[in-house]
Amino acid sequence: MIDADERALMEKSVHAAIADAREADEGADVDAVLAQLGWRELLRDEPGDAIDIVFRALGATNATATALDDVLVSALAREPRADLAVLLPRFAAWDPPGRIDGGEVRAQSLATARADAAEVLVVCGAPSEPWSVAIPTASAEIRPLRGIDPGAGFRSVRVQGSAARAVRVDPAAWRAAVALGRRAIAHQIAGACRAMLDLACAHAKERVQFGRPIARFQAVRHRLAEALVAVEALDAALTAARETPSPETAALAKALAGRTARTVATQCQQVLAGIGFTSEHPFQRFLKRTLALEGLFGSADDIALDVGRQLLAARRVPTLIEL
Amino acid sequence: MAFSKTGLPDSRAADVADFRAALHAWLDANRAELAPRHGPPWTLDERVAQMQRVKSILFEAGWMQFGWPERVGGRGGSPMLRTELGAALAARDLADPGLFSLIEVLAPTLIDFARPELAAEVVPHLLSGTELWCQGFSEPDAGSDLASLRCRAIPDNARTASAWVIDGQKVWTSLAQYSDRCVLLTRTGPADSRHRGITAFFVDMDAPGITVRPLEMINGEREFAEVFFDGVVVPADRMLGELNGGWAVAMSILPYERSSCFWQKVAFLYQRLGRLVELAPGDDRAAEVVGNAYLQLHALRARSRATQHRLAETGTLGAETSIDKVLVATAEQATYDAVRRLLSGMIEMDDGAAAEVWRAEYLYSRAATIYGGTAEVQRNIIARRLLGLGSDD
Repeated sequence: MIDADERALMEKSVHAAIADAREADEGADVDAVLAQLGWRELLRDEPGDAIDIVFRALGATNATATALDDVLVSALAREPRADLAVLLPRFAAWDPPGRIDGGEVRAQSLATARADAAEVLVVCGAPSEPWSVAIPTASAEIRPLRGIDPGAGFRSVRVQGSAARAVRVDPAAWRAAVALGRRAIAHQIAGACRAMLDLACAHAKERVQFGRPIARFQAVRHRLAEALVAVEALDAALTAARETPSPETAALAKALAGRTARTVATQCQQVLAGIGFTSEHPFQRFLKRTLALEGLFGSADDIALDVGRQLLAARRVPTLIEL
Repeated sequence: MAFSKTGLPDSRAADVADFRAALHAWLDANRAELAPRHGPPWTLDERVAQMQRVKSILFEAGWMQFGWPERVGGRGGSPMLRTELGAALAARDLADPGLFSLIEVLAPTLIDFARPELAAEVVPHLLSGTELWCQGFSEPDAGSDLASLRCRAIPDNARTASAWVIDGQKVWTSLAQYSDRCVLLTRTGPADSRHRGITAFFVDMDAPGITVRPLEMINGEREFAEVFFDGVVVPADRMLGELNGGWAVAMSILPYERSSCFWQKVAFLYQRLGRLVELAPGDDRAAEVVGNAYLQLHALRARSRATQHRLAETGTLGAETSIDKVLVATAEQATYDAVRRLLSGMIEMDDGAAAEVWRAEYLYSRAATIYGGTAEVQRNIIARRLLGLGSDD
């Protein structure tokens, strides 16, 4: 693990590189920027830090990349490559999406934009005895998914192919893939939450009504304070997930990310008022991105229910992290 | 009774994890002796007696001294060691964390601001359970706005000031009726001098002129009291800190209150949620409620952990602990809201011993957003100091 100063420095430089590229050209290839920064090498050497730093920067800049494929591929014990994409779990779920039916692999789920150009798509299935198989993208039906946030770059994918080359996957590997995916998305949401809060605070200080900046009104201040409490708690949970990595700490961080995004978006949108309701203000892009991301690997509600079921089944409450 | 000092780790070598393991092994071995003398519901008298008994056992065995400086009879080492001790007691339901962690808001004040001889004399009494102390801060007209306090201290002789005479009233003073001493904030400057004219004293509660009138709380307990001071004479060498330097004394407590005390509270809330999942129905409605309460506790635990480490590294904490305060209050209320929702009728319509405890704690939890600085005051601090929104006037 790298130390805090190094991490802060890397966060800054990754953020700046993405922001600069997008300022020069809004449609800049962010994957190329990440490749140039050595993303895959960092993912191999320091996976925890790599995921945290890169996804937070993606969230903070509202950039779209396909780095999630690399995260999942590496957790599934394959070598990440620019032409290797993974079929994501269905929205609001975390089971592997594929099933085998009469010797055929079938699946309908989500993928990143990498699916367009990749040669093969890694499809996993069966949560209890997971398997994975590489299906040529030529035989997949891939279409862009607009949804609430067309800029998020998700694809709707339907695959059908031979199950002959399906191989067993260690169940722990799939759980690890979900855990890393959750951390990645939670960081991306956290970055977006900070961005929304920054926008709302800046607006509150500039916007004058009744002869003073609205930031002077306690009703406004308390909304923004509530948002910061949520953002800080999420950051603490993400630090815990990095320092004490486990499927549980990752799941809780992801659930908190979903909750935090709703709190922050609600409070900030109210403070931004009319301007925050327009397409010209950047707020709406972060709002929509967090909504699109929240369902990946399970929403806050889905995860809270799942965690609650586990606690009730075990009839005990693990503390997970210690001083 | 003699308790074995074997198994005590070396405070300087003590890695927190090693300390925790050794501590829990010792607590396991002495389980029977430490357990409350009888079952619930416990009166406040019984809870206070249990806490003092546990402190005396732990002091005799050497555990209470970890994390406290050697010049007040401690064994040194990181303050995190004593936090671990308080958390272990809370997790095992051996001492009420709200009462036990008062040590954290009293002993450091003496260590940092009393004459060294006085601190060396009295701090061991607090740690060993020989004495109880209270904190006389709030007044009827000085709650969230502590700097407006009016309880007066006047020198007995303007020239020599060998003693101070105190007149006034305190309120919400926890455990005042049990206490041997009080860390008291008084007005020594002009009436409008606010935080510049406050001085702290260490007052013996048996001094003539002190009247304690316990107040009954919403849950029927008499944990806090009104304390009246009528011409109470306090020797000048009992002044804590500088004359008119009482605000610094009051503020110095915050890092301890917001780190160690909170971590102990977190341990206690995990214990209570653990008890809830033992008793709750196994359906999905319960799973949703429990899962969401756990989520909030985890966020709080993660935040509080980070705060302890920041304090250990930098030696100081500031306005950012208002975040911790909001989180701990919210999580405490969420935990007991979950209890009320899932143990149907337990809080409202059950006279069993277990229900008495749940009910008292449920009602007490409603104050979590009020005491120690209201949720609104915390949000004001967050807005001004952390979000940089400027002044609100």
